Amino acid sequence: MSKIIVMTSGKGGVGKTTSSAAFATGLALRGFKTVVIDFDVGLRNLDLVMGCERRVVFDFINVINGEAKLNQALIKDKRVENLYILPTSQTRDKDALTKDGVDRILKELVKEFDYVICDSPAGIEKGALMALYFADHAIIVTNPEVSSVRDSDRILGVLNAKSRRAEQGMEPVTQQLLLTRYDPERVEKGEMLKVDDVLEILSINLLGVIPESQAVLRASNIGMPVILDEKSNAGQAYLDAVGRFLGEDVEHRFVKPEKKGLFNRLLRRSA
Amino acid sequence: MSIFNFFRSSAKTPATQAKERLQIVMAHERVGRSGPDYLPMLQQELLAVIAKYVDIDQNKVEVKLDRGGDCSTLEVNIELPQPDQERKPDGKPANAESKPPLKQAAAGGAALTKGGIKRR
Ligand SMILES: Nc1ncnc2c1ncn2[C@@H]1O[C@H](COP(=O)(O)OP(=O)(O)OP(=O)(O)O)[C@@H](O)[C@H]1O
Ligand SMILES: [Mg+2]
Repeated sequence: MSKIIVMTSGKGGVGKTTSSAAFATGLALRGFKTVVIDFDVGLRNLDLVMGCERRVVFDFINVINGEAKLNQALIKDKRVENLYILPTSQTRDKDALTKDGVDRILKELVKEFDYVICDSPAGIEKGALMALYFADHAIIVTNPEVSSVRDSDRILGVLNAKSRRAEQGMEPVTQQLLLTRYDPERVEKGEMLKVDDVLEILSINLLGVIPESQAVLRASNIGMPVILDEKSNAGQAYLDAVGRFLGEDVEHRFVKPEKKGLFNRLLRRSA
Repeated sequence: MSIFNFFRSSAKTPATQAKERLQIVMAHERVGRSGPDYLPMLQQELLAVIAKYVDIDQNKVEVKLDRGGDCSTLEVNIELPQPDQERKPDGKPANAESKPPLKQAAAGGAALTKGGIKRR
């Protein structure tokens, strides 16, 4: 079973943190003991998206440096059973992450948790490398846009060459695409790359399509993973993706434009 | 259908252009990265062999790896110089001192395409 999952993208701002928070919460909702780790050293944000920013005392780097115990740094989510957050440091730089240090902490976490989700920083440098190095499975977060697709291809190359599994000649890191901020109406008009095109270009399996949604901003404003907003299309799309990740056969939704009847338009305005 | 739609239907949509541009740029970037380890070596050695016989310009070499569903194609594109520039038996290009400017050479050169090194 895959234990360590990295959310990675190469390009910044495509939805890794949003997706890490949603995915970790989704797995915990299914009863799996799950921890989500912020690897974006210096730019702590996962705590805000998860709504636990005021409960951070110790962080990932403190634990690596032996300044705190793992249990002191882990924050237990107040809404969802089985869900924990390991925040990162806001003051240090990415050099504070060492391969040995990360290895040590992950080994401890894997013993206790069913899933460890690593929220990667942008880029293909040290921080991103550390986040993906120990992964068993990678979720490539991509927007239907040229630079994001190209950067995803680069990060796939890094996974295939520089991850621990690649270096040690083990089974390769399994990879799935999470296409986020998808706008079916713009796709219909030929303004945006469609799912199938992105899949073909990257030759990768599809985990899910998350539509562009106002619910994401709404959720992050109040510090709630969007997957808990079960009425929103983005929340539902993440729930579906978690199901697929667990091997369920879930049909893809939100890839076609909504029907534009008068009734629908009225509904949308009130939503 | 309005006249505008008539014109537009034959043009490529921005999404289609995006796809095509990505496929081209990424095919280049993938060579020697996602390919097997021997690809860069293979490329170098192939070039070395050809350079023994003809004077090739390293900038006029194009190597492309197309990743397909179950088979990938390595395409090596080498532009050969004009015939009178080929090496004489003594091993030196006939007119090594007075090479024509690059553009001209490109126009007169023949293109040699070697397709089809397939790998699973
Ligand atoms: N499906 C979506 N619909 C609308 N907005 C979204 C969606 N997904 C993400 N966003 C917005 O995009 C922005 C970036 O998201 P997020 O922080 O998750 O990206 P990131 O990849 O973690 O960024 P970074 O590379 O800086 O870590 C946020 O403002 C978020 O609200
Ligand atoms: Mg982030």
